[in-house]
Amino acid sequence: MNPTFGSILISVLAGAVQSGTILLLPTLGEVLTERSGVLNLGLEGLMLIGAFFGFLGAMKTGNPYVGLLLGMAAAAVAATIHAFICVTLRGNQTVTGLALTIFGTGLTSFYGDNWVSQRLTTVIQPMAIPGLSRIPFVGPILFSQDLIVYAGYILVALFWFLLFKTKVGVNLRAVGENAKAADAMGVNVVGTRYFWTIVGGALAGAGGAYITCCIHPYWLNGITSGMGWIAVALVVFAMWNPFNALVGAFLFGSIEALQLQLQAAGTYINSALLSMLPYLATFVVIIVATLIVRVRHVGTPKELGIPYAREEK
Amino acid sequence: MLRFEKRDKTPIQLRVLVPICSVLLGLLMGSVVMLFAHVNPLRVYGAIVKGAFGSAYTFSETLVIAVPLILMSVGLCLVYRMKFFNIGAKGQYIIGAICGSYLALFGPATMSRPLLLTLMMVLGTLGGALWAIIPALLKVYWNVNEVIVTLLLNYIASYILWFFMYGTWGTRGFPLSKNFALNAQLPRILPPPSRLHIGLFFGLAAAVIIWIIIRKTRFGYETRVLGENERAARYAGINVFKTVIIAAVISGGLAGLAGIAHTSAVLRVLQLEINSDYGYTAIIAAWLAGLDPLVAVGISVLLAALEAGGYQIQIVMRVPFGIVGVIESSILFCLLAGEIVTHYRVILTRRLSTPPGSTPRIGKKCSVALDERARGGA
Repeated sequence: MNPTFGSILISVLAGAVQSGTILLLPTLGEVLTERSGVLNLGLEGLMLIGAFFGFLGAMKTGNPYVGLLLGMAAAAVAATIHAFICVTLRGNQTVTGLALTIFGTGLTSFYGDNWVSQRLTTVIQPMAIPGLSRIPFVGPILFSQDLIVYAGYILVALFWFLLFKTKVGVNLRAVGENAKAADAMGVNVVGTRYFWTIVGGALAGAGGAYITCCIHPYWLNGITSGMGWIAVALVVFAMWNPFNALVGAFLFGSIEALQLQLQAAGTYINSALLSMLPYLATFVVIIVATLIVRVRHVGTPKELGIPYAREEK
Repeated sequence: MLRFEKRDKTPIQLRVLVPICSVLLGLLMGSVVMLFAHVNPLRVYGAIVKGAFGSAYTFSETLVIAVPLILMSVGLCLVYRMKFFNIGAKGQYIIGAICGSYLALFGPATMSRPLLLTLMMVLGTLGGALWAIIPALLKVYWNVNEVIVTLLLNYIASYILWFFMYGTWGTRGFPLSKNFALNAQLPRILPPPSRLHIGLFFGLAAAVIIWIIIRKTRFGYETRVLGENERAARYAGINVFKTVIIAAVISGGLAGLAGIAHTSAVLRVLQLEINSDYGYTAIIAAWLAGLDPLVAVGISVLLAALEAGGYQIQIVMRVPFGIVGVIESSILFCLLAGEIVTHYRVILTRRLSTPPGSTPRIGKKCSVALDERARGGA
């Protein structure tokens, strides 16, 4: 491997980790939301809300971290609408999620109109981890990133531990698998579903805000360009497991980075076809993942999308 | 404390009242969003009404938007009844427009107008149907989530259009095809400047036909049973595979027809912006209509008015078009929330308020069980 090729590869893969983190955060959140039995198809809208309010917060305060928190909070509030309609009022989760996406798209393009193409002056900066970042090849790719990327790593481990090794996780899964039994065992079904839907919303918001507060520090209508939907598909790919979510998100981050790199390099491949690549890949992946889930019977929470009504059989 | 009792039947007044209240509440929520941006909602709504119904011309423009909405929402009424959530009307619309336009741009120029137009409409319909058959096959064979698949296909369709427009179909590097020849233009029905075209009759005919299919045919009954309980449908001998595929083909075909009709009659040129976000508005129209195709016609006109007015306020008042999405989704939120009242009887109770000795009202099933126990004891 000659040195220039090596350095290009490192920069592409480091970009892949960043793009992957945009997808990882919403995917992780949705894994937990769906584990609790709530299907939230509004990730795209929530990411847009996070992206816009993150941008706005960073613009007004000059601090991108404050922006990120504001983006998360705004998306969490929007996710509460979803929880209220789907959990308390037992509305149709598919259509509510879709409404949430239309809402997020409309709201951010309405408020964002004055901000289009304005740039942030300060963005989230990388912070190399001492020691780890010195590891050849792996160091510059994984450990010379920013705090949000590291938070992604930590959340993967944390959520995996929480989901499979703690009582909270057992209760959470019980609510998604068999709400009636969980209720009989004294688990607060409604509270659990609300909580994880809102957490999922906040993480989707974080994914969106990470775009505007770090990677593309300006506002454009529909800046997430379908990544929320890719995240929804990645949850199936991940078989509702946080570790697989990491693999899937970084894999798609690589496709995204490769696509951008090829476009920048001005290859002869048509740019429309290149831009189509992530969606085409997701299309293939969702089919393959569904087949695998069918054969191995893993993952899918049994009562996903089914509202719980205590008084009904 | 609130308690919900399942209703056996929804009273007709609720079926009317809930959508009306949803629209009013949705407009109110839209107002709140506008107030935060220091925009006067009354002026905006006034301008929307004026922009949609202000004159014969503006109303005909509203109907121009209503045509694709009617065609798409009517088809969605059919598929949503069996809980096949095709949200890919946008992609089906685009593919329909591409397929039909192919004939308009590259077909034999000497062909007679009726024949060429018929072939274009057929090809557009087939294109939309083809784009809808993919998620339907994936659903019935492998149970792949149709929401995700149709959505991804929307993006893929957009990029296919992009591919052609920046490729061989564009002119001099602009993403704009050459103008359709007169032979390839679907006739308009009113004197200019109105762009209203005979697609309106396609839409009305489709609404009536779908209504008849749903209400009067065995197939329509099967889609309904399938939506309520798939297992029961299988036991009853309904061919789930066939039903899903046919319904998906109908809804996709109508979306494709909408795409080519709008392109051929209104735009008369294929371009990147073929207003395909109508695909999402159509979903709202279908849901707001309670999945009744005849009601969907009226709702489509109302939503078209909102869209037409939305374009006007953007131009005249510089209020961003995004507000239309906010209002539409707010209406949909309220409607979904309102389903709790149509599906359940909501009862306000105080905790532990059941007087001793009386049977607590805990729904039909439970009281039947109690009766049986009483009989067993006697």
